[in-house]
Amino acid sequence: MPGNKKTLDTSKLAIEYSRYYQGKMQTAPKVPVTSLDDFSIWYTPGVAAVSLAVAKNPELSFQYTNRWNMLCILTDGSRVLGLGDIGPEGSLPVMEGKALIYKYLGGVDAIPIPVSAHEPEKIIQFALDIQPAFGAIHLEDIASPKCFRILEELKQKLTIPVWHDDQQGTAGVILAGLYNSLILTDRKLRNAKIVLMGAGAANIAAAKLLISAGASAGNLILVDSKGILQPEREDMDRMMLQNKWKYELALSTNAERREGNIDEAVEGADALIAASKPGPDVLSRSTLKKMNKGAILFALSNPVPEIWPKDAKEAGVRIVATGRSDFPNQVNNSLIFPSVIRGVLDVKSKAVPDEVIIAGAKELAQYAERDGSLTDEHILPTMMDREIYPLVAAAVGDSCVKLGISRINLTRKQIQRRAEEIIQKTQKMIDTLQKSNLIEPTSKVPAGKNRRK
Amino acid sequence: MPKKSIKTVVTANKESNAQSDSGIVIREIKKEELGKAASLVARLKRLNGEFDPLLKTTDSLDSEAQKTVERVASNSDSLIMVALVGSKVVGVVKADLKDRTFYEPRREGAIDEFYILPEFRRGSLGKDLLASISEKLKGRGAELITAEFPSQNEIAKRFYTKLGFRSLTNVYAKAES
Repeated sequence: MPGNKKTLDTSKLAIEYSRYYQGKMQTAPKVPVTSLDDFSIWYTPGVAAVSLAVAKNPELSFQYTNRWNMLCILTDGSRVLGLGDIGPEGSLPVMEGKALIYKYLGGVDAIPIPVSAHEPEKIIQFALDIQPAFGAIHLEDIASPKCFRILEELKQKLTIPVWHDDQQGTAGVILAGLYNSLILTDRKLRNAKIVLMGAGAANIAAAKLLISAGASAGNLILVDSKGILQPEREDMDRMMLQNKWKYELALSTNAERREGNIDEAVEGADALIAASKPGPDVLSRSTLKKMNKGAILFALSNPVPEIWPKDAKEAGVRIVATGRSDFPNQVNNSLIFPSVIRGVLDVKSKAVPDEVIIAGAKELAQYAERDGSLTDEHILPTMMDREIYPLVAAAVGDSCVKLGISRINLTRKQIQRRAEEIIQKTQKMIDTLQKSNLIEPTSKVPAGKNRRK
Repeated sequence: MPKKSIKTVVTANKESNAQSDSGIVIREIKKEELGKAASLVARLKRLNGEFDPLLKTTDSLDSEAQKTVERVASNSDSLIMVALVGSKVVGVVKADLKDRTFYEPRREGAIDEFYILPEFRRGSLGKDLLASISEKLKGRGAELITAEFPSQNEIAKRFYTKLGFRSLTNVYAKAES
C-alpha cells in the first residue's frame, strides 16, 4: 500500500507532538486588558448591564457575546474516522483537530464537546440544552443510522444551524465535484444516471442532496452490501423499522426496479459514487466497463479507494476522484465545512437547509470552472485555494438571507468581506503567536527534532 | 346495543372484485396465486420477528408458509384475499371464522395474516383490504372482526386504532429455558 511508511511516520510524530503541546486549541481573549480595573467593564459590576440587556432580549447574545462565532463540535465518539466506536475521550484528539481546521481555515471558534451519552434522545437533549452558548452545532463522527435521527430532530428543534459533516459535508462536496464532472462530460444532473455504492451516512445524505439539487430520484440506484436497494428486498421491513432514511430511498429511487448487485446497477450508468469500504479490489475493471462512455467515478473510501484511479482509467472511466490528496480530484469535506459554518455564523442563521448547502456546492464548483482550470484532473479546488473559503461563505450566507433564515441581512459582498476579514485576522493571529514563540515550532519537540536529520 | 363491539369498514363496491382508483384489484385468492401469497406471509413473519425475539422465524419458514397457505386455502372456515396490480400479488390478508362459545357476539372473523409490500403501503390499500375481508367475513356470519399482531408493532396498533378497533385480549409470554 503506497503511503504506508508515511502513515507510520506521521502516527509516531502525532503522538510525540501531542505529548509535547498537550492539546491543539486553547482560549484567548479578544478584548484589551491592561489592568485589573478593566474587569469592572468585562466583568462585574459593568457586565451586569450587558447581562440584563441580553436576558431581556436573548437575541442580543449574538451581538454582545462571542456566541455568533462559537461552534459546538458535538460527538459521542461512536464512529470516529475509520476507527469505529472509540468513545468520547478517544474522539477528543480528532475533535480538537477539527476545531483547529475550523479556526485556521474559517476563523471559527470551535469547541470540542465529546459526550458520554450514546442514546439519540440524550444527545438531542444535550444539543438543545447547550444551544444558548453557541451560534451553530457541528455533529461529528456519530454512527449511522442514529446520526440521521439526531440531525433530523435537531434541524426541527434548534434555532441555530446544525451540521453533520459526515452527511452534509460529504454530500456537499460530492455535489460540487459532480456538478463539474457533469459539465465536463456534457451531461445534466436531472438526466444523469447515478449509482451510489455504499448506503451509509455519506451516500444516504448524498442521494438526498442530489435529489434536492434536481437529480431525478428514479435515476439514482443505491447499492449496499446486500445488493441493489429496491422495494421488494427481503430486508425492507427491518429497514423500515431501523433506518427509515434508507427505506425511503429504497422506495423512491431505482425507477427501473433493477435487482442484483453492483454489476447490474452500473449498466449504463453515467456516474458511480462509491463510499463503501476500503479497496483497492472492491470495484473491478469489468464492473466499470459496464458504465456509459465518459463515465464518472468517485471512489471515496479511505485510506484506499475502492479501485486505484489508474485501474479505473484503464477500464474506460473518464473522471476519477478519490478521498486522497495524493491523487487528482480530492473530494474533501474540508473544502466545504469551514466556509459553510463561516457563512451561516456571519449572517447569524437559524438553520442550514439543503438549499444553502447546494448554494455552497455550486460556488465551490464554479471556482474550479471560473479560472479556466476545469479539467478531468481538476474538478474541484484544493485546500491550497484559500480564496474559496470566503467565496463559499458568501454564497452560503447570501442563500440564508434570501431564504429569510438569517438574523441579520447582509449583501453577498458584505458577507464575503466580513469572512475574508475574520479569516485573515485569524491567520495573522496564528502567525503572530508562532513568530513570538507563544506557539513553538515543532523543531522544539525533543523527539521531533531528532527526526529532522 | 349493536351486536358488533368493533366497528368494521364497509367497502363502497359490493362486487366481488373491488377495484380502486390506483388499479389495484382486491379479491379472494386463486390457486395460481398461492405461492406468491405464501412469500408475503413469510415476509410478515420476518417482520414480526423484528419486534420480539420470541417471534424469531425458523429456517423452514418459507416452506412452512407455503404449506400453511395451501392448507388454509382449502379450509372452508378460512378466507384469504389478495390485492393485485395486474397479475402481481402486492398484498395478502387471511382470516378464520371462529365460534366464540362463551361470549357474545358468537361469530368472530379473526384476521391473523396481513401484509402489503412496502411500495403499496402509502395509499389506502391497507384500509381497503381490511374493508374487503371484513365485508366477506360479515357475509359469512361474522359479527365481530378481530386482528392479531405483535404487541410491539406500533404501526399495526395505530392502523387498527384509527379504524375503530380497540385492544380486546392480551397474550403474555415468558420463555422457560
